[in-house]
Amino acid sequence: MVTSAAIYHLCWLLNITIDIRNVCVFLAPLFSSFTTIITYLLTKEVKNSGAGLVAAAFVSIVPGYISRSVAGSYDNEGIAIFCMLLTYYTWIKAVKTGTIFWGTLTALAYFYMVSSWGGYVFLINLIPLHVLILMVTGRFSHRIYIAYSTLYCVGTILSMQISFVGFQPVQSSEHMLALGVFGLCQIISFVDYIRSKLSKNDFEVLYNFLIYTVGFLVISVGGLLTVSGKISPWTGRFYSLLDPSYAKNHIPIIASVSEHQPTSWSSFYFDLQILVFLFPAGLYFCFKQLTDANIFLILYGVTSIYFAGVMVRLMLVLAPVMCILSGIAVSHLLTKFMKSVDSPKQLDHKKHKKQESNLSFKNEISTTFVAVITVLLISYTFHCTWVTSEAYSSPSIVLSARSHDGGRIIFDDFREAYYWLKMNTPEDAKIMSWWDYGYQITAMANRTILVDNNTWNNTHISRVGQAMASSEEKAYEIMKELDVDYVLVIFGGLTGYSSDDINKFLWMVRIGGSTDRGAHIKEWDYYSPNGEFRVDKEGSQTLLNCLMYKMCYYRFGQVYTEGGKPAGYDRVRGTEIGNKDFELDVLEEAYTTEHWLVRIYKVKDLPNRGV
Amino acid sequence: MRRGICLLICLTYVTALERINNQLVNKNVERSIDLTSQLVKISSAITLENTGKDSVRSFLVALEPNAVDISYINVKDSLKDDLKILPAKVDGAKDGVFYNIMLKQPVDAGRSTTVILEVVLTKRLEPYPSSITQKDKQLVRYFGNHYFYSPYVTTKQKTEVLLSSRSVENYTKLKPVAQSDSTITYGPYTNIQPFTVDEMMVHFENNSPFLTVTRLERIIEISHWGNIAIEEHIEIRHTGAQLKGPFSRYDYQRDTGSTHHSIKAYRTILPASAHSIYYRDSNGNISTSTVRPRKEWIELELRPRFPLFGGWKSSYVLGYSVPSYQYLFKKPSGEYVLTMRLIDHVFDDMFVEELETSIILPVGVSSVKIDTPYEVERLPDEVTYKYLDNLGRSVIKLRKTDLVEQHIQDFEITYDWKPQLLLHEPLSCLLEE
Repeated sequence: MVTSAAIYHLCWLLNITIDIRNVCVFLAPLFSSFTTIITYLLTKEVKNSGAGLVAAAFVSIVPGYISRSVAGSYDNEGIAIFCMLLTYYTWIKAVKTGTIFWGTLTALAYFYMVSSWGGYVFLINLIPLHVLILMVTGRFSHRIYIAYSTLYCVGTILSMQISFVGFQPVQSSEHMLALGVFGLCQIISFVDYIRSKLSKNDFEVLYNFLIYTVGFLVISVGGLLTVSGKISPWTGRFYSLLDPSYAKNHIPIIASVSEHQPTSWSSFYFDLQILVFLFPAGLYFCFKQLTDANIFLILYGVTSIYFAGVMVRLMLVLAPVMCILSGIAVSHLLTKFMKSVDSPKQLDHKKHKKQESNLSFKNEISTTFVAVITVLLISYTFHCTWVTSEAYSSPSIVLSARSHDGGRIIFDDFREAYYWLKMNTPEDAKIMSWWDYGYQITAMANRTILVDNNTWNNTHISRVGQAMASSEEKAYEIMKELDVDYVLVIFGGLTGYSSDDINKFLWMVRIGGSTDRGAHIKEWDYYSPNGEFRVDKEGSQTLLNCLMYKMCYYRFGQVYTEGGKPAGYDRVRGTEIGNKDFELDVLEEAYTTEHWLVRIYKVKDLPNRGV
Repeated sequence: MRRGICLLICLTYVTALERINNQLVNKNVERSIDLTSQLVKISSAITLENTGKDSVRSFLVALEPNAVDISYINVKDSLKDDLKILPAKVDGAKDGVFYNIMLKQPVDAGRSTTVILEVVLTKRLEPYPSSITQKDKQLVRYFGNHYFYSPYVTTKQKTEVLLSSRSVENYTKLKPVAQSDSTITYGPYTNIQPFTVDEMMVHFENNSPFLTVTRLERIIEISHWGNIAIEEHIEIRHTGAQLKGPFSRYDYQRDTGSTHHSIKAYRTILPASAHSIYYRDSNGNISTSTVRPRKEWIELELRPRFPLFGGWKSSYVLGYSVPSYQYLFKKPSGEYVLTMRLIDHVFDDMFVEELETSIILPVGVSSVKIDTPYEVERLPDEVTYKYLDNLGRSVIKLRKTDLVEQHIQDFEITYDWKPQLLLHEPLSCLLEE
C-alpha cells in the first residue's frame, strides 16, 4: 500500500497524472519484473552470470509466480516475493563480504519484507538455519558473525515498528530460532575470543562451566516464560506447516481455504513443469561444490519444497528457488556439452586419435543432449504460456463459457449484483454473506458486511455459518441478532458454476458447529442416511430445509435448465433438487442476477408478535 | 434556482408592465396533449384575430398557476420560424407566468394570424398507485385543464389527448368528449372566458420508460492535436411507480412481453464521427452494449447492469472521441471557435434534472468568451492538470436544471491560443528526462 502510494506521488511529481487505481493494477507486474532482475543477481552471486540469465528467464514465465503477479492482482504477495529475493541477495552479499554495510542492507530489505507479508516468518527462520548449518559444518567465520548480528539487531528492531508484528520477534515461538542462533553466535565468538586468550586447561574448565550454566539458564527461563504465557504457545498456523493434517482436524476455518490444502503432484507439475526435474540436478551441482552461498540455496530449496507440499499457497515461495536451481543445472549442463559440440574442430589430431576408442560418439551425444535440453526449454515456454492464458489470466469476477455454436458467453453476474447493491440499497445496509465475498462486496458494492477475508474473529464467522445452516426461524433470530438487512448467496445450479455456496456449504456447517453456540449443528445431520452430501430427494431433511438451501433454490424448482431433464435440475450437482415447492417466510427475494449466479434476499421486518 | 433565473431575467430586460389587450381573440385553438412518454408535450395551434382598430405587434401567453414549472417553451409562426419570447409582468393579473411573444409581422385590424405554441412539462404524470408489484401495469394520472388557458377570449377550441395505450381507467367527461383507440377528444368548446380553468384528469396505463437523468456531468476536453474527448457521467433513476415486494428473476425471464414498466435497455445517439467509445462504471467495463453505426449518426444500445424498476437507480460513464476539425475552427482574426452541443442525446424523451458541462481548454488560452443558446448558470472556473501538465488548463463550467430533448443545441466558445503551445508538453517531457 505504502509502495503504491509512493509510486503514485512520484508520478504526480513528474506531472504524470496517473490514477491511483492504475498504479495498483500494474504494481504486481512491475514488481515481478524487478523479481526477474533480482533473480539474475542472486544466481550470479551463487554461481555465475550464465546460470543467472537462465534462472531469470525461468522465473519470468514460471506459472507458480505469474499466478500472483498478473496485472490487477493487487496482493501483498506480489511485492513480498521480490522483497524476499532481495533480502536473500543482500544476505548472500553480506555473507560473502562480511561487511556491516551489506548486513544493514539485508536488514532494510527484511524490514520491507516484514511490512509487506506475513510470510516473513519463513525468511527469519531460514537465515538463522543457514547460520546454524554453517556453524555445524565448521564454516562459521567472522564474516558470518558480522552479517548475522547486524541483520538480527537492526532487522528485529525495525520489524518491531510494524504494529502487526509488535513484540512477537522476542516472544512467539516462531521467532525463537532466530533469537537462539543470535545467542549462539555471541557465545561461539566469545568462546573463540576466550580461547585465544587462555591456556588450554583453563579454557576447558571455563567451557564446561559455561555450557552447564547457560544451558540451565536457557531452559529454566524459557520454561518459566512459556508457563507464564509470555512466550505465546505454538500457533495453529505453525502447526499446520509442520503437520498438514493438524489444521483440518482442529481449525475448520483454516482448512476451508482451498489455498491451504496440501499441494497435489499434478499441481506441482502444472505450476513448474520441467523445473521439477531440473531441481534435483541443481541441488546436486550445488552439493558438488559447496560454498557458504550454495548451502543457503540448498536449504532454501529443501525447506520451501517441504512447505509448498503442505500448502498450495506456498508454491509461491518455492517457484523462485526452483528457477534458480534449475537455472544452475541447465547452465551447468549446457556449458559442459556445448564445449564438446565445438570440441572436434579445436582438438588437435593427436589427442583425437588417442581418445577415439571411447569418445568416438562424444560429438553426437553432446548434440543430442543439447537438442533434448532445447526441446525441453521450448516445451517449458509453451507450457507456461498455456497455463498462464488458461488458468491465471481470466479474471475471477467475470466468468465466461462457450455456447453451443462456439461463441463466448460472458457471465458478468458478480458485478451486476454488487452494482445493484451499491445503487439500490440504503447506504447503511448490512449484508450477510459467506466470508469469501467480503472484500468484493466492500470494494464493489460499498456496503457493510459481517465477515470478510480478513476476519480474525472465529466465532463471528461461525455465527454466520450457523445462520446459513439453521432452519428459517432459527436463522431469523441469528440474523436479527446480527442486525442483517440483506443476505447474499452464490448459486451455480443454473449455469454450472461449481464453486458456489452449496458446494462450500459443508465448510459452513463445520465452521458453524465448531464453536459453543453452534453445538446444535452437527455435520452428520446434513448427510443422507448413506453418508452422502446430496441435494435431491435422498438428501437429509435438515439440509433440504436449511436457510442456505432455501435461498439457493427458491423458485428454482420451476426452471428448466437443460433439455431432457426435469424442472429444477441442478447442473452442478447433476440432480433434480429434492425440495421444490416452498415459500420463504422471513426473507424476500430482492434481486437475482441474469444467470442466477448471485441471489440477494432482503430480511423482512416481522411485526412483534406481542409480549 | 428558478427564482434566480427570473431575477436575472428581470434585471436583464427591464420591461414595463404589459396590459392585456382585450381586442385580441383566440378565434380557434387546436390543442394536442401528448402523454405517450414520461413527458407532457402540449402543442397548440392558435389562430389569433385582431378585433380592434390598431395593429398588434405582440401577444401574451399565460401559463396556468399550477403548471408554471415548464422545461421548455417555444412559439413558431405559420412559416415555422421561431418567434422571440420575453418573460412579462402583466398589470392587474393574478399569479401565473406570462410571456410576451414578438410577432414578425404586425397583425392589422380585422386580420388574423396563426402561431404554434409548444410547451414541454416534466414530472406531471403521477404514477397512481404509486407503488406496484412486478406483475402489475403502470398506471399514471394526468391533471390538466379542459380549456386552453389564455388571457384572451377563446371563440372555439378542441383538444386531443394522445395516450400510450388503449386501456384507460378513468377520465373526466366534460361534454362533448369521445374516446377512440388511444385518443381522447375534448370539444369543440365555444366562447371561453379568459383564465378559465376546469380540471381535466386522465388515468391511464403508461408503460413507457419513466427514466430520469438525475445528474449529467459532461466533460469536453479539447486537444489541438486533433481530438476532442467527451465523457459523460450519468446518474439515472426510474421515476415511475415504485416496485413493491420482491423482484423475481424467474417471473422476469418468463415475461417476454415488450410492454413492461421496467427498463431493460435504451438507445443513445452519438455523432457519426464518434470513435473509441467506452461504457463503464466504477466496477469496470459494462459488457452489455452494442454499437450500431448508421449513416448520419451512431446508435448505441445501452443495457444497464440490471433492469431498472421503479425507484431503482444506476450510474455509468459514457465516453467517446470526435475529430476536432468538425467542431473547432479558426477565425480569420486568429481566434479559435469551438461549437458543440451543450447537452447531447441520452435517450428518447429524456429528462435531465441537472446538467453540468465542463469544457477543458488547452494549455495557455486567453480571452475566453462563451455564447450559449439559452440561459445557463456559469460556475467559477477551475484549473485541472493532465498528463505532463505543469501549467494547468482552465476549465469552464456551466450548469442548468430541467432539460429535455429540445435543449440539445450548440454553444460557442471563442478563445485566443498560440500554436507554439502545442509543443509545450513534449518539450517539458524532454526537459524532465
